[in-house]
Amino acid sequence: MDERTLVEQLKKGDETAFKTMVETWQNMVYNTALGIVQNAEDAEDIAQEVFVQVYQSIGSFKGESKFSTWLYRITVTKSLDHERRKKRKKRFAFVRSLIGEQNEVLVNPPDFHHPGVVLDNKENAAVLFRAISELPENQRIAFTLNKVEGLSYQEVSEVMKTTVSSVESLMHRAKNNLRKKLEDYYKNRP
Amino acid sequence: MKKHPDINEKVEEALNSLEGIQKAELQPYFYTRLTARLQRNEKTLWERMGSFLAKPAVAGVCLCVILVFNAFILFRHNSGAKNSLSIAGTQNEQIITDNEYILASGSSFDYENFDQQ
Repeated sequence: MDERTLVEQLKKGDETAFKTMVETWQNMVYNTALGIVQNAEDAEDIAQEVFVQVYQSIGSFKGESKFSTWLYRITVTKSLDHERRKKRKKRFAFVRSLIGEQNEVLVNPPDFHHPGVVLDNKENAAVLFRAISELPENQRIAFTLNKVEGLSYQEVSEVMKTTVSSVESLMHRAKNNLRKKLEDYYKNRP
Repeated sequence: MKKHPDINEKVEEALNSLEGIQKAELQPYFYTRLTARLQRNEKTLWERMGSFLAKPAVAGVCLCVILVFNAFILFRHNSGAKNSLSIAGTQNEQIITDNEYILASGSSFDYENFDQQ
């Protein structure tokens, strides 16, 4: 089934088309969300949210971009929303702990190990993922889509609704920032 | 701060650690979990109506319609009250006239009865 036919069937509410769509793109959505939120459970939750959103708003898809590009956009937006919610909760918990309402100790999340990384690179990749999580949003998205999801600069620019030269610039800044963060990490490592 | 001779090398290794990364895959039965979630999210008719009415634009339009309707009813009620006053006045005059007529006819009836007796 080609993409246009699939979208038409989805708009008609065809359940078989919905199942086909989910099975075709579920790992792409999950892998993108995992690269951004760096937590397997959260990434699955986001993947579900993405497909619920597709089910509810397929009528608004006009076909101006590829269906996969639209899916990537929803995934990125949902992942960033999730990150913001998590940060808000963390800040709120911190304030509550300061005023003594909450006695829970705030623990930093453990290192993230992406299941697709080659075994020899596990430790280095965990250090890199920690550095990626500290990048500004745009740089983080561009870097993750390119390096983790394997999209070309052209595809990244379509997902981020920007130009290829802007993506090149984002990638250049992301690499420089990552280099500085990694240098600091290795210099101060006990 | 610890001096490390091969920091640059370590940094490059870390930066290149995502080379050849495989895509992560979901646990099995994702579609089953997704359909269960979709069913939980299905809204009833009343919930859908509630969320439609809760939209700011719809709520604003509804409020305006209610205000206009209220103003219309109030205006109509006031003009209706004036009409009922004038009607009441006419009715009073009619009652007086009728009473006079009854009195007049009553007296004529008495005469007639008197004649028959």
